[in-house]
Amino acid sequence: MRGPTAKSFKQGFLRSFLVSLKSCRNGDMSLQERKRAVRSSADAAMATARGGGAMWPQALLASSSSSPPTSSSWPRLLPTAAKVKTTRCKSTARRCCRPKRSSSEMIARRLVRKRTKILRGMVPGGELLDGVSLLREAMDYVVHLRAQVAVLRRVSNAMHHMAGAVAPRVQLKGETAQLSDGNQG
Amino acid sequence: MSSSSRRSRSRRAGTSVSSSSSRSISEDQISDLLSKLEALLPDSQARNGAHRGPASRVLQETCSYIRSLHREVDDLSETLAALLASDAVTAEQAAVIRSLLM
Repeated sequence: MRGPTAKSFKQGFLRSFLVSLKSCRNGDMSLQERKRAVRSSADAAMATARGGGAMWPQALLASSSSSPPTSSSWPRLLPTAAKVKTTRCKSTARRCCRPKRSSSEMIARRLVRKRTKILRGMVPGGELLDGVSLLREAMDYVVHLRAQVAVLRRVSNAMHHMAGAVAPRVQLKGETAQLSDGNQG
Repeated sequence: MSSSSRRSRSRRAGTSVSSSSSRSISEDQISDLLSKLEALLPDSQARNGAHRGPASRVLQETCSYIRSLHREVDDLSETLAALLASDAVTAEQAAVIRSLLM
């Protein structure tokens, strides 16, 4: 992400996230429930801040509401979802013009197909995309996931410092430094 | 089966049956996208301008990377959940955080 785009995304994300965090302060939740609520707030804020330039935000927002997404709720991107590297010759049955493929090439193609399928599952809305769009979406999604992690980490550090002033120490994962050490940041 | 009927069959198909010219265009596109994707990955040699790894490797590492990013978000959510539970952060402090970070 370029500089100004990254900054405005992070600010938009932070704003939405902190607003929805208020509802996570409810004391009746178990830690796991609250964690799920925080996670859900973070994903919703990320999708909202991203807006309309990609498909994954819609898919993410749709999956965080309880109804499962149906393919009719998205605009059709292509008449068919083509596989990555489709090179089928129409007269395959007659084997008259299909080039001989080495078995290593076939193995490579099979591996690519298999891993493309896995990637589809990792990117929200990926099942509806063709190979080229999937790669673009994956790039966009990765970039915004990184920004999400960065902002969450800063929020967590900020809250950590504030918590240190008034509450007993909260042991963070992987951290053993003293909270009273003012040089953290 | 004559070649002319094969051609007309191609034209009648609603979606594109890959002719050799369109196949190379979309393979170039895919190759370009894979290189760009690889450049995003941690420890990617593509950042140094080296020849990019095979498509299957880039796809696999992208999946791992997304998985690890999801895990980080999950861990951070748990951390935040614990901090919120301790009542250590009030609404006023949340507003202060927002103004400091933005």
